[in-house]
Amino acid sequence: MDSDLISFASLAPAYPELFLAIGAVVLLMAGVFIKNASARLVGVAIGMLLAVTVLVIIQPATGVLFNGGFIQDDFARYMKALVLAGSAFALVLSVSNAVDNGIAKFEYAVLVVLATLGMMVMVSANDLMVLYIGIELQALSLYILAAMKRESARATEAGLKYFVLGALSSGMLLYGASLIYGFTGQTQLDKIAEVILLSDRSVGVIFGLAFLLAGLAFKVSAVPFHMWTPDVYEGAPTPVTAFFATAPKVAAMALLIRLVMDSFEPLAKDWQQIIIFLSIASMVLAAFAGIGQKNLIRMIAYSAIGHMGFALVGLSAGNLVGIEGVAIYMAIYLTMNIGLFACILSLKSNNGYVRNISDLAGLAQTRPYVAAIIAIMMFSLIGLPPLAGFFAKWHVFLAAIEAQLFVLAVIGVLASAISAFYYLRVVKTMYFDAPEQEFVPIPGELAFVMGITGFLVISYYLTVGRTLVDFANVAAGSLF
Amino acid sequence: MRLKRAKTKRLLLSSDLDVGFSLVALAPFFAAALAPLLFRFTQGYTGWLLAIIPASIFIYLLSFVEAMADKQLISAGFDWIPAYGLRFSFFIDGLSLTFALLISGIGTFIILYSGAYLKGHPHQGRFLAFMMMFMGSMLGLVLADGLITLFVFWELTAITSFLLIGFDHVRQASRRAAIQALVITGGGGLFLLAGLLLLHQMTDLWELSSIFEYGPAIREQAIYPVLLGLILIGAFTKSAQFPFHFWLPNAMEAPTPVSAYLHSATMVKAGVYLLARFSPILGGTVEWSVVLTVVGSVTLLWGATTALRQSDLKQMLAQTTVASLGLLVVLIGIGTEKAILAAVLYLVGHAFYKGAFFMIAGGIDHATGTRDITALGGLWRTMPVTFVAAVVAAAGMAGLPLTVAFFAKEEMYAILTFKGTWGGLFLANLSLVIVMVLGNAMMMAVGLAILFKAFFGEIKPTPLKPHEGSFSLWAGALVLGVFSVWAGTQLGYFSQNILEPAASSIYNFEVESKLYYAFKMLTTTPFIISALTWVLGVFIYLNIDAIRTWLREFARDLGWSFDAGFDWLMFGLIGFSDRITRLWHHGRLELYLVVVFVAFAAALLIPMWGTFALPAMSDVKTMTFYEWAVFVIAMIGLVAVVVAKTRLMAIVSLGIQGFAVAMFFILFGAPDLGFTQFMVETLTVVILALVMTRLHLDQRDSRMPLDLLRDGGLALVSGVGVTLLMITILQTPLDLRLSELFAQTSVPLAHGSNIVNVILVDYRGLDTLGEIAVVMTTGVAILALIRIRGGGPQTGVGAKKPQRGKSRAKKKTAASRQAKTSRRASAAKASA
Repeated sequence: MDSDLISFASLAPAYPELFLAIGAVVLLMAGVFIKNASARLVGVAIGMLLAVTVLVIIQPATGVLFNGGFIQDDFARYMKALVLAGSAFALVLSVSNAVDNGIAKFEYAVLVVLATLGMMVMVSANDLMVLYIGIELQALSLYILAAMKRESARATEAGLKYFVLGALSSGMLLYGASLIYGFTGQTQLDKIAEVILLSDRSVGVIFGLAFLLAGLAFKVSAVPFHMWTPDVYEGAPTPVTAFFATAPKVAAMALLIRLVMDSFEPLAKDWQQIIIFLSIASMVLAAFAGIGQKNLIRMIAYSAIGHMGFALVGLSAGNLVGIEGVAIYMAIYLTMNIGLFACILSLKSNNGYVRNISDLAGLAQTRPYVAAIIAIMMFSLIGLPPLAGFFAKWHVFLAAIEAQLFVLAVIGVLASAISAFYYLRVVKTMYFDAPEQEFVPIPGELAFVMGITGFLVISYYLTVGRTLVDFANVAAGSLF
Repeated sequence: MRLKRAKTKRLLLSSDLDVGFSLVALAPFFAAALAPLLFRFTQGYTGWLLAIIPASIFIYLLSFVEAMADKQLISAGFDWIPAYGLRFSFFIDGLSLTFALLISGIGTFIILYSGAYLKGHPHQGRFLAFMMMFMGSMLGLVLADGLITLFVFWELTAITSFLLIGFDHVRQASRRAAIQALVITGGGGLFLLAGLLLLHQMTDLWELSSIFEYGPAIREQAIYPVLLGLILIGAFTKSAQFPFHFWLPNAMEAPTPVSAYLHSATMVKAGVYLLARFSPILGGTVEWSVVLTVVGSVTLLWGATTALRQSDLKQMLAQTTVASLGLLVVLIGIGTEKAILAAVLYLVGHAFYKGAFFMIAGGIDHATGTRDITALGGLWRTMPVTFVAAVVAAAGMAGLPLTVAFFAKEEMYAILTFKGTWGGLFLANLSLVIVMVLGNAMMMAVGLAILFKAFFGEIKPTPLKPHEGSFSLWAGALVLGVFSVWAGTQLGYFSQNILEPAASSIYNFEVESKLYYAFKMLTTTPFIISALTWVLGVFIYLNIDAIRTWLREFARDLGWSFDAGFDWLMFGLIGFSDRITRLWHHGRLELYLVVVFVAFAAALLIPMWGTFALPAMSDVKTMTFYEWAVFVIAMIGLVAVVVAKTRLMAIVSLGIQGFAVAMFFILFGAPDLGFTQFMVETLTVVILALVMTRLHLDQRDSRMPLDLLRDGGLALVSGVGVTLLMITILQTPLDLRLSELFAQTSVPLAHGSNIVNVILVDYRGLDTLGEIAVVMTTGVAILALIRIRGGGPQTGVGAKKPQRGKSRAKKKTAASRQAKTSRRASAAKASA
């Protein structure tokens, strides 16, 4: 095969990835040779991620590279911008508390950058092999991040669980990929679709699809492959959890969308059933299981599971509106979670960081600003108008209704109503219970992140809403 | 078939009316937004200022009375979401007007009353804001034309009611009552929404005023019972009908103005309004009549008997409210001309006397500090004005002549003489009348009890010294009482302008009321039954203490109430969540893996069950003896893994199975693959064993028999699934393009006649290099492991603590092995 790389300029669509890859290596070297550089490295990494975000946004280079293995289109650019921004903000969140959380090591920044690189490859993967490389690069970095706080038994357990279940899911994914290759003779996503379209619906491809989806369901933590989520979220250091809850979800969802829309478009009936099942199971289980949680982070884990279920509602519609809805959903979800984690990480008392919902008692009196932001995020997560969360749900449910998936939409709305139970309990604890502890002052950068996310969530409809919908529309349009 | 609407003209309106109508519903909301601010400046006079708004609304609405007397229907509104054809629209007819007048009229006095009742309360501004919001929601609800507009206002009343019941949020009881009310009415609202959307689906219309025409067609649809059920659940939850009745008495935790306004005069009537509103669309069928009369009757009797059990003033009133709502539902369910007239009369009468009674109860509470009927007495001396109001209200409750309620009774008892739709169902009518007589008599007894026990007899010591309240506190009760009598005497005006238009809206035909006073009435059946009711009522009142004791004992013996049932349900929900969490998220990796494998097996077997036929096993017969031998060796290896006593045994046994697979590769013509497999197996066993030396190699992993069964079963099912899949796949024709390519190009391109060699060193040369690199790296890793063998971590995690991860490691390798083997298998197929 001839190379499609004639000059360095022809690599333009992959500049962001190249930049990050080289940057990660440089960071690693710097970390090894400069003593006590972890804080500075985090700063450099944030700068690098933001620079790449800008590059992705302003550089309109799109195209297919590396013999069809890598694709940069509007969809990829949109999702990459989200992933990069999510990673950068997750790093920002860790600045003030890295020492407390045992992640003040130079590897932290390097691993986050490498994981982000893996996610970008996932988003841009146009071939089953590239897809797998991206997933593994991301996953291996995340396993280490989960267990980064080595002296903590919880973190170690979280890392081990994540690794074992992750390895299992990777195995399924590979098994599915090999079945697909065996039956279509192709690994390139768009060519798989061509082969499927021409041939009959074969059993091998269906099973391959099922295994691929099972593997990816694990990555987006959709029920029944969600078990790791609460344990890992709780066990991992909180800034790492903030990272887990944001960027990787976007990347995995982007990959899932590209896979089903590009490769398995002819088998829409089959994958839609699976996605609908995952969606309903996630929404319903999260709605009920969240109620019983006392630990704040575990509650957020269930919230994440539920929200992935809601996002999958849009995907199960399988139409332009649906994909647009998921794209919008992921952006809003990302914003809400970053804001929420900024709040949680800012609440440090003499007994350490908040862990349980009851630790928030009376927060409205001791820290009115943080309490207000948390309350806004909770209301937005429930999906109350006119906050951003409402519009996120609005778009995906609209898509479901357009695709005549009424039962799915109704279950979604009901699950949303039930889940309000646990979100509102947080608000109630903050506003109606008596304060129990004093908190140390809020670090400046966290207050800034809270302010910015809070502003975006409240004013979504008036400020960014229209622009975001336009972007999402262009992004989704590039898949059709 | 019914006519679409008798003598109804639809007016085309100027935009002034659009604004006017919208303001009726929206002005209270604006006022609500300003109320807390206003309160800062005007303090105690805020109530007076805010009362201007409902008063002006009342006057504005009065201007429609004449148009309504002509049975007109006026609609107005704005486009809301044009893309979906949604309008934010209102309409007004006799029924809406009656309700709107009640809401704004009573509202005026309630706002005044609230100002006085909560005098000095720090959150009075907030309270008044909530009240105004509620008023706006309620007005919006009764004026709504669009289905979605209706629903939005419907839920707004539930939410404002929640805020008002929980106003005193420091008290646990208030919070519980507020949540209970919200769960039940809000939940019912969701059913209503489903019903409204279904209605839209059936008619493709959003406006109630246009849907009326489709009533007969809707009733003929097969889905009609579902629609009816959804709408009825919405109405029953709101109007506290059995078995959803229990939230209303609990809602009495709210401050008394709230109880008077929301939970007797207006909000709880929303369900009745809904039934009346939908009567032309859904009414008149057997289902409608039976469900409404039965549910209403049960509610009536239940509420009335429970009221007798209480000694708290507000609780007595609350329970009689439940009973009255039941009575209204019965009347709408009967749906004859007389019954509808009775319903409207009773609705108005009840709003008057019950609103008055609640304000009186609040006044007494305010003045004496207690609401317990047994602790009160002789108040007529100290609270003369309140006493007068109470006499009038009790007369209304008893339905004595001169009050509206008197005519309501006359009309409702007249169903006994009616022989229309119900034909010969005389017995049914008779039993309904008996139910009504019983209910009315019991309610009358409660009214008498409040009047006589509290105001007569000797003065009893109370926490506060009894005194007459301020003007605002008794004005409302007195005016409502007076209205009750006024409407009962100004029959001509009242019937023509309020009663007949409202009844016509419900009945969908022109209704003529023939209300009059005459001596000949004394001999008619309804009057005789009314008289009977009074006698029974007095009798019950005289024995009320005995009855109360008896009923309380009965309730105690019963030991269960719907209220307790609600708690059971809510705690059940939390318990259910806990159980789900425990079931799914126990934190045990082992069981997580079980879930994943169950999903895995399901994903394998279910589609095969449904879509694809089970594969034929023809190849089994052609297996040779040495193939069988290797197969048996593999099986022995597997069984050995499962039953192995020590870890070392298990690891080695796992190797046996791997070697057997390698043998298969060799037997089927892939020696390269076979040798790779040998190497990988050896390395796996060695690495595993080395790793395990740090985790106590000789430890025995005993499993419970049940665990053994579960894990074994799961392994078997998953294995069978994969096997079936493999066999199925093998039956599809093999794609030989690659093999043919190698065969053709091996000699000319790569100059080698041994295809396997050529593939290894040429076609997949880089791949082979990679594999060698992997093996080498692994070798280095082994070397490192050997060097640290026996040491183990001295500090931190894993230091001399019993490890819990025994089965994890095994499964992990099994998983990665599986991945490896499958990769090999597909590669083997490709190169075969």
